[in-house]
Amino acid sequence: MHSFYLERPGWLHRVPAGVKLAGLSLAGTALFMTADQALLGAAALAVAALYLSLGREAGRALGAFRGLAVALLLILLFHALVGSWRDGAVTALRLGSLSALGMALTLTTRFDDLLSVAETLLRPLKLFGLPAERMALAFGLMLRFIETFFAQWQRLDEAHRARSGRAGGWRLLAPLAIQALAAADRAAEALSARLGR
Amino acid sequence: MQSGSSRSIAHIALFAALVAVLGLIPKIDLPFGVPVTAQTLGVMLAGCLLGPKRAFLAMLLVLGGVALGLPLLSGGRGGIGVFASPTAGYLLAWPFGALVAGAVMGLLPGPVWARAFAASAAGGIGVIHLSGIVGLTLLARMEPTQAALADLAFVPGDLIKCALVAALAQSVARGLPDWNLHRA
Repeated sequence: MHSFYLERPGWLHRVPAGVKLAGLSLAGTALFMTADQALLGAAALAVAALYLSLGREAGRALGAFRGLAVALLLILLFHALVGSWRDGAVTALRLGSLSALGMALTLTTRFDDLLSVAETLLRPLKLFGLPAERMALAFGLMLRFIETFFAQWQRLDEAHRARSGRAGGWRLLAPLAIQALAAADRAAEALSARLGR
Repeated sequence: MQSGSSRSIAHIALFAALVAVLGLIPKIDLPFGVPVTAQTLGVMLAGCLLGPKRAFLAMLLVLGGVALGLPLLSGGRGGIGVFASPTAGYLLAWPFGALVAGAVMGLLPGPVWARAFAASAAGGIGVIHLSGIVGLTLLARMEPTQAALADLAFVPGDLIKCALVAALAQSVARGLPDWNLHRA
């Protein structure tokens, strides 16, 4: 699984994760409080300037915006068709800027740094019985399982191709689910043996 | 069984991973050649096989990973920015869709496949599409009726997913008889 993180450090990498996250939520609130085209246009330009300041490497990440661009175009088109192109422009500028800002955070912040910020933020949830301190364990297990299941899927698909000459597709979902459930039970046994609960 | 026990955590992580893997798999052509992202299939499946509480937590884990920047969504999307996309309403409903699916699965009587179909339809279509329509209205400024009309295009594909989940739950019940299909 590839990560979005840009390895070559820029100025935004050096800003602490918590500060970036706070800035993002402030910017998000501001973007939703105004419906003024000029202000939103200025915000979009500011976001574009931010990306330029991240350097050439950030250009690689532009591919991640393809789906968003299509969705925003459809919305623009839709609003133009019903005659309220202004609404469409406001929506596209707002959602586009905010998504791009979120991506900038993702590009310049390590997963571990964000995780520790999240653990701090979620600590009060312990009162409601959510085990925040086991979050890192859950994330680790999830990432491990993703690798395992993807490999398992490929094995199943190869076996199906060998028998039928075609890709397995949805027919492989049942064996994958059963193998996955059995694997999770084995992992759970091992885990409870180690952690003692 | 407590949600903090290591067995629970393994199962929660498992279904979170399953949703992510369903996004990694290129694209599944369902019968009748309907191409769909299979990820909401994972949401429905989690509800039916995990019970409401742990299914909710599993989907929270997926969305948490996405927010922290893991490319877990179909097409390798991820990062906190996706929650500002026009279709964020669908995404944010995953935990609640799984919760409702789990609750319906646990409450209904009858054979496994019928319960799983009803649960998937309630959680995977009812909750998720409703939230998606609300999201389109709020985020994309569409009229509710227009948003509902646009949404309708995706209902047939999701009904096929419900049928698939029903078949899957039935074969899990056969393949792993020890797996309790309605434990909370």
